[in-house]
Amino acid sequence: MRVLCCLDGTNAARIGTALRMFAAVQPLTVGMLHVTDTRPREDIDLIRERFGRHPLHPHRAPGPPPEHLPRPSPREEEIYEAEKASAEEILKESRGYCAGAATITREGRPELEIVNLAAEWSADLVILCSRAAYQSRDKIGPKSVGHVARFVVDHAPCPVLLLRPTARDHFPIGR
Amino acid sequence: MLSIFHLPEFWKALLSSLIALLTLAGIMIRPFRWNEARTAMSGAALLLFLGLISPRDALFTLLRDWNTFFFFLGMMALSAFAETACLFDWLGVQAARLAGESAARLFLNVFLLGTFISMLFSNDATALILTPIVYVLVTKLRLPALPYLFACTFIADSASFLLPISNPINIIILSHHPLNLPAFLRLLLLPSVVVIAINVGVFFFLYRRQLEGSFDVARLSSPQAAIKHKAYFRYTCCVLALIAPAYLAAAAGRFPLSAVAMAGATLLLAGAFYWRRTTLRQAGRGISWSIFGFIAGMFIVVRAVERTGLTTKFGNLLLHLSRGSSFGAVMVGTAGAALGTNLINNVPMAVVMNSALVSIQNASPGVRQGFIAATMFGCDLGPNLTTVGSLATVLWLLILRHRNVDVSGLDYFKVGIVVTPLMLFAGALTMWLLL
Repeated sequence: MRVLCCLDGTNAARIGTALRMFAAVQPLTVGMLHVTDTRPREDIDLIRERFGRHPLHPHRAPGPPPEHLPRPSPREEEIYEAEKASAEEILKESRGYCAGAATITREGRPELEIVNLAAEWSADLVILCSRAAYQSRDKIGPKSVGHVARFVVDHAPCPVLLLRPTARDHFPIGR
Repeated sequence: MLSIFHLPEFWKALLSSLIALLTLAGIMIRPFRWNEARTAMSGAALLLFLGLISPRDALFTLLRDWNTFFFFLGMMALSAFAETACLFDWLGVQAARLAGESAARLFLNVFLLGTFISMLFSNDATALILTPIVYVLVTKLRLPALPYLFACTFIADSASFLLPISNPINIIILSHHPLNLPAFLRLLLLPSVVVIAINVGVFFFLYRRQLEGSFDVARLSSPQAAIKHKAYFRYTCCVLALIAPAYLAAAAGRFPLSAVAMAGATLLLAGAFYWRRTTLRQAGRGISWSIFGFIAGMFIVVRAVERTGLTTKFGNLLLHLSRGSSFGAVMVGTAGAALGTNLINNVPMAVVMNSALVSIQNASPGVRQGFIAATMFGCDLGPNLTTVGSLATVLWLLILRHRNVDVSGLDYFKVGIVVTPLMLFAGALTMWLLL
């Protein structure tokens, strides 16, 4: 069975636990995917230029970006490097939970990259968490499934395993 | 030249106004990918060629504003050299270290750091230099990037009227309509604090879910690693520690602020040469030279319109709308400046308001001070409404959206449209109470 695991920097341990459950039943081909979200970088690109200066392209003409992009500025290079290093570190960490896993990096909109890669990679199962665990406390209830997980559940070409936090103390739900 | 045809005054006035309007429209729409400087200079050149403003008048207009030009140069050079010394990178790492691994405290620290940088280096240093640094920082810390990016971009303008040097727009207005430092601080310090508090409070509410977590500070390099050259870094810190009180003393003693900025920049340039941290070419690249053409063009175009009496009429209209009360002055000044800033950008709006405010010289001191402070406040804070940029960028984004191309950037717009009117109103109200 080909399993595609979606890492977000906070969920390697939880994915590892889920993989162990499956690996006990049948042999697995595991792919660890990390997608660098390009949206924040695009947002920086759109910041109003001030007094004729722009954060990333000091000498770019106004309006839509040119077809042939200029050489990246030092700041842009620093951003690329930080993104790359962070992705590599997250993937390296994930290998600790599943030794033989293939690692895949992508750039773009995470939700789109996940479903497209699941189809391209012929995944039999996609494993992802309902949202990145930035909070120290796990929450259940409305909005507990983030926009990426929601999109993947709606558009995935194969079954999806949505890892939710264990939160039995919130029960029974009153309504 | 057209002046030899001896056009009647009415036609001259009409032609000047038409050229000024076309220039402003050009700055808004940016045809043929022309940058603002080229548009403003073309407008000024056309006015000169047609004899609608004499070369002598144009020259005097520019010479009168030498303080503004040198301040822009000094301010841009100061932030460029501080960037070369890795001061902002170091401050970013320190902000993260002092946050005690809490995402929410890092968020607060980013606001405080942004306020400090805007106050001392002016708003563009925060928006243009600090934003990418903070993005790199939160990427390394594996924190959600958007709240931090938005915090940097918004605090840049929200903290840009703490001191006269916090935004070059203040210098443009204060060179023509001086307010002494105590009056400036009396009218704008408390509104600044109110606006910053609202900015921080609303953002904490908007991003409360994403800020609950913690981060591992071990993912960050040490502050020492951020500094590329220790001696130059220390030297830069010392020079800046001298510049900050010098700015205050100069503002209090009505000494030109541009002289302080230029002196600081010269000292840093000398240090950079001594330790071979920069070359003349690299130093020149840190400065946006087109801004000088842009301001010069705008000064000449607006001077030509001023001669037609149109800006005086605009000033009288503002005075009429305010009904001569200080409350009206503050509200009309703020709303007018903020709207104009979003329509034609902040530098042209500040120059237009400079000219319009000449007609309020005879108003009561409360109304006059109210108008001056409100103009700075509106022109400084107004850009937060459309943080994505000029009207041209907004239109371009909307067109792409219409074609179903996936674009971000409208998030900035959504947040700005919610927070900025609130900040403008609360700040203006505080200012009126202080008048």
